[in-house]
Amino acid sequence: MLKRFLEHAGIEPERLQFSWISSSEAGKFAELAREVIEAVRKVGPPKKLVKGRAEVS
Amino acid sequence: MSDKIILKERMQDFLEALRKTREVLLPVKEKEFYRLKPFTGAEKLDPQFQNTRLSPKGLVLSESERMFEYRLGKEQGAQIVHEAPADYPPRVVVGIRPCDAKAFALVNRNFDNPEFKDPWWVNRLASLTLVGLGCDEPCSTCFCTSVGCGPFHEEGLDVLLFDVGHDLLARAITEKGERLLMEAGVRQEADDDLKKKAAQLKEKAEKKIRSQVPTDRLKDKKLNDLFNAPFWEDVAFACINCGTCTFLCPTCWCFDIQDEVKKNQGDRIRNWDSCMLPLFTLHASGHNPRTQKAQRVRQRFMHKLKYYVDKYGDGVACVGCGRCVNYCPVNIDIREVAKRMNAL
Amino acid sequence: MGRAERIREVAKQILEEKKVDLVIGFKKGTHPLMAEPVSIKDPKEAELLCWDSFCTLNLANYLPKRKEKIGIVAKGCDSRNIAVHIVENQIKREQLYIIGVPCEGMVDKRRILALLHGRECMEVVENDGSLIVKGEGFEQTLTRESILRDNCRRCMHRNPVIQDDLVAWPVMERAEGDPFDDVKEIEELGPEARWKFFTDLIRDCTRCYACRNACPLCYCPTCFVDESEPQWVGKSIDPTDTMTFHLLRAFHCAGRCTDCGSCQQACPMDINVRMFTRKLNKDALELYASEAGLSIEKRPPLDTYRPDDEGKFIK
Repeated sequence: MLKRFLEHAGIEPERLQFSWISSSEAGKFAELAREVIEAVRKVGPPKKLVKGRAEVS
Repeated sequence: MSDKIILKERMQDFLEALRKTREVLLPVKEKEFYRLKPFTGAEKLDPQFQNTRLSPKGLVLSESERMFEYRLGKEQGAQIVHEAPADYPPRVVVGIRPCDAKAFALVNRNFDNPEFKDPWWVNRLASLTLVGLGCDEPCSTCFCTSVGCGPFHEEGLDVLLFDVGHDLLARAITEKGERLLMEAGVRQEADDDLKKKAAQLKEKAEKKIRSQVPTDRLKDKKLNDLFNAPFWEDVAFACINCGTCTFLCPTCWCFDIQDEVKKNQGDRIRNWDSCMLPLFTLHASGHNPRTQKAQRVRQRFMHKLKYYVDKYGDGVACVGCGRCVNYCPVNIDIREVAKRMNAL
Repeated sequence: MGRAERIREVAKQILEEKKVDLVIGFKKGTHPLMAEPVSIKDPKEAELLCWDSFCTLNLANYLPKRKEKIGIVAKGCDSRNIAVHIVENQIKREQLYIIGVPCEGMVDKRRILALLHGRECMEVVENDGSLIVKGEGFEQTLTRESILRDNCRRCMHRNPVIQDDLVAWPVMERAEGDPFDDVKEIEELGPEARWKFFTDLIRDCTRCYACRNACPLCYCPTCFVDESEPQWVGKSIDPTDTMTFHLLRAFHCAGRCTDCGSCQQACPMDINVRMFTRKLNKDALELYASEAGLSIEKRPPLDTYRPDDEGKFIK
């Protein structure tokens, strides 16, 4: 539900990904980490929900 | 000071003239409520306007204000807490109601007194001119006359406008107001007839205030009697401890100071805070003297209707604008509470 | 006998018979368009209780962590939140005497004010199907349909789902229309348009927390926005912090929200914060065939694992 919800709010779906990985599946972890990094790089630096210095009135 | 005339058909010219030297703020309807917005040339004073949803206090006591900033690093200026650069451009509000203007005078006691002078408040208020519009049709929830204010009350205003039919009578109340009218080219003096009409408007409006709230005996009550009164649990039951009353209120002045840090940059920010929220009185030790809802509700009403009365001796810390009555989600009514306190 | 009279009757009786220590209901507000939640302990005070189209807030908000035996007036959505509280151990079923009220929808005072065009409402007279709004020099009849609250228009459970007494015959549930067409409208927009929609939605938020405090589900002893070690969310009106607050609060209500509308009702800036939770409600129904609070036997959807749960999103 979180994935659908954030996507609904307009946040790029590539930024939130899920996987079941056991502690003994190191290879899968490394591969998936690379995939996710690639996917997020393609989307680019985040422009939404980024906190810089607090915007004040 | 003097009474001048602004022809209604020349009202837009008046606003335009003001716009040449300062930002002009006008109550404009957006969604279903009014808020103060900059005059860009198109907006007009709406005859249906009663009051803004948020009080104008945000113009001087900002909702979130960067007070100080600091940086890590080695260059010039780093490792020192500096006052955040702020500018205070001249602004004028046209159409503020006398209750909200009196509120500025009231809150001013807190931020500008011999003991403490809050530079942000002092500078912002100094750069702001208030041109008020008297209320010809007070709302049923207004009770300004019960709390030392009124639909044509002049305290806190620089200029007060009376709608005398064909035109507006502009009464300059302070030097600032006088100068503003001169700047805007308002020169025509009001004759005695119009001055009389203005006085009649005031009388008529004051009579129209339906809500009468007894506050005369509050100063004579013993503080502890009020504090320990049996009705607080009852009054507080419905309260959901949100910040609505405090944020809409023109006389609530409490704030919270927060440090926010991003990488090497830090900011010390002042935000509005509310005594209704549970963290308001949380001490650094972890102790919180007001954990119970009823304690916090009691605190707010005691502050406004008793502590302030005792401390300054000239009435309650409420101007009767009625916003809390209209927007409290559970209809906790300060008028009822005042009645109960007064009658104890 | 009208609902109001029946509520007063039941309240008086259960107080006299000491079945409960207090009764939580509504009394007439000081404002013609409002009702104030009240708790009464004396059977004589039962006269104060009222029931009209302005009893909008969810009284289940006053239940968590109370220790007494409580009689509570509950319409459909309220009763569902009571069920949620029971399932979540915030109150015990044995403590409650639920006075169920079948509800045909409450009225939105904002819609009334919009239709009055600046004129002030001094009195309301209710009839079946319409309300007569009176003020100085005017009288206007408004159909209930035209001023129903947003969530009441889409209500899927008008009758209480759990109760010890019903003060009226059950009403017909709404038969037609897609309850989630408002969510679908947003779903159909592109991502940038959706982001803009939500950013604009909360632009006026003053962080007063009326939505959070009016919500029966928000009973955490320390809300995540009040946490300071570590501080998750800034307290200023910074748009990112504000969006974080709303997104995260909504997600804390995922699968638990009954769309009672108290959040929208309480907001002093008229923000329709339900647009966050409604998407979650739609998804909970689609993914887990779950609607919050329909039974005290069922666990919430995000609390349960079933082998056939939607798993395609997991790599």
